[in-house]
Amino acid sequence: MSLMKKSEQDVQKMNRVELTPASRVLEGEEAYTLTVELPGVSEKEIELTLENRVLSITAENTLETFKDYTLVLHELPEVRYRAAFDLPEHVDTAGIKAANKNGLLILTLPKREEVKPRRIAITAG
Amino acid sequence: MRAYLNTISNPWRVFDELMGDFPFDLFDTAMRSRAGRFPRVNVWESEGGLAVQAEVAGVDPEKLDVAVDANVLTIKGEREQADGSRAEFQRSFNLPFELEDAQIKAAVKNGLLTVTIPRKATEKRKIAIEKL
Repeated sequence: MSLMKKSEQDVQKMNRVELTPASRVLEGEEAYTLTVELPGVSEKEIELTLENRVLSITAENTLETFKDYTLVLHELPEVRYRAAFDLPEHVDTAGIKAANKNGLLILTLPKREEVKPRRIAITAG
Repeated sequence: MRAYLNTISNPWRVFDELMGDFPFDLFDTAMRSRAGRFPRVNVWESEGGLAVQAEVAGVDPEKLDVAVDANVLTIKGEREQADGSRAEFQRSFNLPFELEDAQIKAAVKNGLLTVTIPRKATEKRKIAIEKL
């Protein structure tokens, strides 16, 4: 056993360039919607963690290589996307939902009941 | 000298090497901010044909158009960007050979478009030399 020895896969993972993915947050009445661009990333390559109200996203893209072909123009590297978001106190972390669509990771961050707008009925007196 | 020879044998490299002179970060940011209109690609070539991978996160596969006209390949479509706006993008490639447009295969998976197109078979014709 040697500390230097790494499997080829590990080396590949280490060589990946780290990028912050493009993202946006929209505020709705009931929830925030957080969209993160992760092109070429499949669901199982996305790691979502929540710790101390910090939502972290780590993802790696997969690029198919073509056998018997030569790469003549190389603009897409194998990358690791990394982003972290501080969630405000009024986000109900238990209700967070995530979906992956066309290379976009869409997270729904529901607001806690007490901050949602509500109508207060006035009783005639 | 070797690099120079390489450039001649592979014209795609010229672009690659020119871009490679920029500081990496600058290049990366520039490409990413333009990605809406100008998707980044990997192009693969073989004796048999061409394969192109393009980053098209947020694209509706229905709104994606891949076309070949003789030796020009065009990829265009409309996508939703992370900031919520819709952007049209288009990119064309002038290729050193003709492609068989009837046999384009295109697939989108996780916002990554893969297109494969075979080369057009060129007819080799022997020209008889007349004896005068």
